[in-house]
Amino acid sequence: MKLSIRGLTHTYDVDVINDLSLELSQYKSIALIGVSGSGKSTLLRIMSGLEQPTIGEVWIDDSPVSDPEYRKHVGFVFQHHNLFPHLTLKQNITLVLEKTRDMGKEEAEAMAVAQLTALRLEDQMDKLPKNVSGGQAQRASIARALSLDPNIIFLDEPTSSLDPILTYEVLTAVEELRDSGKQFIFVTHVMSFVRDFADYVIFMENGNIVEQGPVSIIETPTSQSLKEFMKKVR
Amino acid sequence: MNKVISYVLAIATFAAFAAFVVLRQQTPFRPELLDGYNALVLEGFFNTIIISIISLLGSVVLGFVFYLLSVSKVRFFEAFTDVFTEIIYGTPLLVMIVVMAFVIGPAFGSFNRSLMGTLGLIIYITPYMTNIYKSAFSSIGNDQYMAMDLFGFTPYQRYRYIIIPQVVRILMPPMMNNFSLIIKGSALLNVLSLTELYYAIRVVQSRTFAFVEGYLLMWGLYIIITIPLSQLTKYVERRWST
Repeated sequence: MKLSIRGLTHTYDVDVINDLSLELSQYKSIALIGVSGSGKSTLLRIMSGLEQPTIGEVWIDDSPVSDPEYRKHVGFVFQHHNLFPHLTLKQNITLVLEKTRDMGKEEAEAMAVAQLTALRLEDQMDKLPKNVSGGQAQRASIARALSLDPNIIFLDEPTSSLDPILTYEVLTAVEELRDSGKQFIFVTHVMSFVRDFADYVIFMENGNIVEQGPVSIIETPTSQSLKEFMKKVR
Repeated sequence: MNKVISYVLAIATFAAFAAFVVLRQQTPFRPELLDGYNALVLEGFFNTIIISIISLLGSVVLGFVFYLLSVSKVRFFEAFTDVFTEIIYGTPLLVMIVVMAFVIGPAFGSFNRSLMGTLGLIIYITPYMTNIYKSAFSSIGNDQYMAMDLFGFTPYQRYRYIIIPQVVRILMPPMMNNFSLIIKGSALLNVLSLTELYYAIRVVQSRTFAFVEGYLLMWGLYIIITIPLSQLTKYVERRWST
């Protein structure tokens, strides 16, 4: 993808992102890492168009992320699955397709079944989110994102609320999507996932990029703060 | 012990207590004294139900208006509902009813005590309804709104497919509890000589002197309305909790 960030600043009470600029092309799977509060989740939400930056602009594949058309082709997987709790896994997908993508009932149903089956949820799809495991719900949430046929899928710490076994389950499911031609931008604390899945890594601290480059930077960090970060997450 | 048997025994215990109380009265128990007053009793019975339904609907609407005011960005509205709630919480229902009928009503040129009494009941329940709305709507977290944003649901679709279906499940049981509160509270309207159940039976008693019989009938009739209602509430709660 082609990613272009120009003079981005985002402020809540303090600066969360501070005058950040970045130009990237050709990478298909970008990892954002850093300690909590480093601004990585905020940057992810801004890149997905979910949040408007205070100043600056972000372009992805020659389209401003504030463009409603762009947002229609974005898949987002939240930290906690964020499925609508009153709908079954399947209905979570069909409702979105029918109401916001003008898809017919049967077509939506077929799409939902196909996506849920691909994520090995064929036995769970008529259950409510609270009646499945956290890992299954998170996979359903990935299926929901994929059913919109997005160009880019954003993952915001998709396994932070899961135990190691469920984490493995979800990340394996994501890795299986590698060859689907989708592009990914994700925030995670799971370094093995970064090693396996990312082709570019951005390390953030205090709302700015401290170090960036191919995955090898996490093995041989040059900045002091990435060195210390890697010691802690290992 | 079997659950059904336990309940039958429990009900029998209370029936035995009632029988004991009846037998211990100074005067002989003569329910036939009430014969001939069925029409009046029924009028009171149905008036209680009608007044309660009107009060329920009124407080459901007014409670929602106050909910909207309480979440308004205008500070005054928020403060207004806060102060209103504190005043109502601090007021006994009986006081509310007489103040409405004899003080506030006349100030606005209304001497219609039935209307003012019912309005008092509505206003009294309103803050409780507002609270129910508050807790129900707050159960939909920011994350869900973010997801709705992400997928691009229109405001109508948000309410129709996502917010209301979730909120109704949460609203129903406490609203039905409030209905029960209203029915019980409506007994106090008798002080305005409004022919609801309590007043109707007091009239019958004054004509027949069948006080014990009248009070027992009154008690029984209230329970006939409220117990099925509370059972229905429990059923709805169970049914919708999954």
